[in-house]
Amino acid sequence: MNVNFDIQEKQAQPTKPPKPVIKTKDLDFAYGDSQALFNISMDIFKKEVTAFIGPSGCGKSTLLRCFNRMNDLINSANIKKGTIRISDIDIYNKDVDVIELRKHVGMVFQKSNPFPKSIYENIAYGMRIQGVKKRSELDETVESSLRGAALWDEVKDRLNKSALGLSGGQQQRLCIARTLAVKPKIILMDEPCSALDPVATAKVEELIHKLKKNYTIVVVTHNMQQAARVSDRTAFFYLGRLVEYETTEQIFMNPKNSKTEAYVSGRFG
Amino acid sequence: MESDNQQQRAHIFSRRFSLNKFLEISTTFVLRFFTYLIIVLAGYLFWDIAYKGSKVIFISEAPFINVQFLTEKPQTLHVFEPVDIDSQLKAAKADILSKSIQRKALSNSNIEEANAYTLAIKELNEEIKLLDIQRKERRLLFSDSEFRNLSETPSDDDYVYNTYAYSGGGIGPAIIGTTLLVFGSILIALTLGVLCAIYLSEYSRPGKVLQSIRLSILNLSGVPSIVFGLFGFGLFVLYLDWGVSLIAGWFTLALMALPVIITASEESMRAIPKGFREGSLALGATKWTCIRTNVLPYAMPGILTSSIMGIARVAGETAPIMFTAAFALRDRLPWEGLEQSTDFFFQGVMALPYHIYVVSSKIPQNEYTQSMQYGTAFVFLLIVGMFALSSIILRVKVRKKYDW
Amino acid sequence: MKRYFHKELTELENKLILLGEKSHQVVQLAVEGLIENNLDKVNEAYKMDDYVDVLEMEISHACIRYMSLRGPVSSDLRLLVVALKASKDFERIADEAHSIAQKSYRLLTTEGSLKNTLNLSEMGKLVCELVNDSISCFVKEDIDKAFLILKRDHEIDAINQKHFDILSNEAFRDEMSDAARFDLMLISKSIERIGDHAKNIAGGVIFLLNGDQ
Repeated sequence: MNVNFDIQEKQAQPTKPPKPVIKTKDLDFAYGDSQALFNISMDIFKKEVTAFIGPSGCGKSTLLRCFNRMNDLINSANIKKGTIRISDIDIYNKDVDVIELRKHVGMVFQKSNPFPKSIYENIAYGMRIQGVKKRSELDETVESSLRGAALWDEVKDRLNKSALGLSGGQQQRLCIARTLAVKPKIILMDEPCSALDPVATAKVEELIHKLKKNYTIVVVTHNMQQAARVSDRTAFFYLGRLVEYETTEQIFMNPKNSKTEAYVSGRFG
Repeated sequence: MESDNQQQRAHIFSRRFSLNKFLEISTTFVLRFFTYLIIVLAGYLFWDIAYKGSKVIFISEAPFINVQFLTEKPQTLHVFEPVDIDSQLKAAKADILSKSIQRKALSNSNIEEANAYTLAIKELNEEIKLLDIQRKERRLLFSDSEFRNLSETPSDDDYVYNTYAYSGGGIGPAIIGTTLLVFGSILIALTLGVLCAIYLSEYSRPGKVLQSIRLSILNLSGVPSIVFGLFGFGLFVLYLDWGVSLIAGWFTLALMALPVIITASEESMRAIPKGFREGSLALGATKWTCIRTNVLPYAMPGILTSSIMGIARVAGETAPIMFTAAFALRDRLPWEGLEQSTDFFFQGVMALPYHIYVVSSKIPQNEYTQSMQYGTAFVFLLIVGMFALSSIILRVKVRKKYDW
Repeated sequence: MKRYFHKELTELENKLILLGEKSHQVVQLAVEGLIENNLDKVNEAYKMDDYVDVLEMEISHACIRYMSLRGPVSSDLRLLVVALKASKDFERIADEAHSIAQKSYRLLTTEGSLKNTLNLSEMGKLVCELVNDSISCFVKEDIDKAFLILKRDHEIDAINQKHFDILSNEAFRDEMSDAARFDLMLISKSIERIGDHAKNIAGGVIFLLNGDQ
């Protein structure tokens, strides 16, 4: 064949092997007596969007919250077996400072939860609690975080107004900006769009797509379409077990497991 | 035509009688009746106190408020009543007495004569009323200080002279004492209560222990106030040897308000959305930073309003301060005659509830003490009302500001 | 709002146009090679078909991928369905052109050169135009042109019918071998099929633009 076309070039390009950032190995997790996660082993790769899907109570949020030890807040929660290593450090080791871990692994929650302060103070909060007082530094971070969250143009004229005056989608993006301000490497999102209308959801998804260039993102979502749209890899959980973890294309176009197939095609249960 | 009408009337949604509907209407009426009854009773109570009390507090000349009553110390009232009217009154009263005895002595058959007596008594009563008005116009009232300043006392020939304890002057020290007690105990109770509530709601591990602690705190609010009074008396006054003092009163009142404050504070903190905490912790805040910056500021208004209400209620209690802080009469104001600044805390004060108690229970009732009672009660009501109002205003304002 | 994955749709469209142009090129090469007795062109047409097949597979894969992952509806979905069908048609066009090239090669190598090309040159020109127009009506979203294509197909059908009559005529038997006559008949048939596919594509464009079946 003498004609060379760009399509073939793309295929011919050897794909760089992705680098795992979060390595979960044989993880068993329990709330008191009821075990929530069974023998989870998965690697989450750098600068990719990984989506966790599955029916309610399948343990996807639990696993997500293990990554920045938000589960520590629940007294009865504990890891029974296995390890989670982030950048090759066992985060459940005794010498790990949870505060530092959480700065490294940011989290965005289901319900947008801006603090009832001004937009500026919301973003600056993470810096302030670290003791940053210099106004110029704060200003700079606030602007760059808001720009990073694609919110700067919408709010630059009312930075000192209450964050509660923003729309739902803006609030959620504010929360993402707030997380960016602490300069994390990994961002966990726990159903970030479940309370948003389609337009706001689309904006947040665009943002996730944009952030992928610089951050490793893990998204828990109930919306399979969303997982399909935003993620590079998708993990399907069922009853606390990891059923299938593959590239998103594989999961949605040709899943290997019949449970995954049933779930993604809406034939579940 | 008629059948048409009937058909129209009997459509599927037409009104028809049923037992349930009857029950519904009658239940509404019963509920409404009892609610209005309570409102009427409470209204009467307040109106009575307000009507009689305002006679003491408001006067007909400028500045329209009886400043003397609000600022002066309680004093003995010196009353001079005109002799002639007094004797006339006495005669009339004696006449009534003898006539009613005579009438009772009559047999049932003699109706005409009995009627004549009844008529006479009626007339005498009218006369007494007229005399009473005259007496009130012509009598002279002096408080202790005024009496002492008189250049000459009204002569015994013209006037009958009587004194009534606590019925003259005003209730200034009691107002000041109550205010001091309220603010002091707010300070102590809030500090203790909020610290305790923070621990209980944020730090403690849920379990049997916490459950029993909560239960005992709740039970504390059911303890009779006199028991608190005795406890305070035993611990602060006797054991710690603080004597009957402001500080003993503060702690006793604070202890009594604690259950309310702890419960209210915990409630307020629990009302803060979980997201505030999680959001803050996820940004790398320590638990205390999170509470300090993201829980307490938003819970504080709620804590304050409920606490103020709680303390205002507790401050109305007589029993806890009876043995610990209150004096029946103290003619020095709290800041007068202090040798050391710490003495301020170790002195007893007058307090409005205790004053009402003293005036009502220890001293024979008469028209002069009555005005003192009602006046004090009314002032006290106003003060408590002001506290409640301020807490309501605070709540409304804050609700507008923080709406999540 | 333009979403990031809408780029994929544009890429798909471009790929489909590329596929159309490639298959058009194959047809042109095959027909011209036959008429001009040019073996090089015929050979090139013969080879290009493979590339068209690959492209067609890529397009259908991209369509299915987009449908599974992006949840398209309305015009987006119609575009995908049309792309699936049209890519199949283009692929068939290239296939027919391939077989034209195959037969032309045989004709040219066994017979030397073709003296009587019947009406094939006009027919080939017509069908090339038709394929070209079917692409351009997709690119320019020109529904009138698409409707026109539906009508123009009949001319080709008529010529094809005429060829059948001529080739099956006794008189024509002397002029060339049976094999050559069969090949010519098949070539004519292939060109007619190409016209049909172009018509199908035009039908797809109409569906894409106004949503009617």
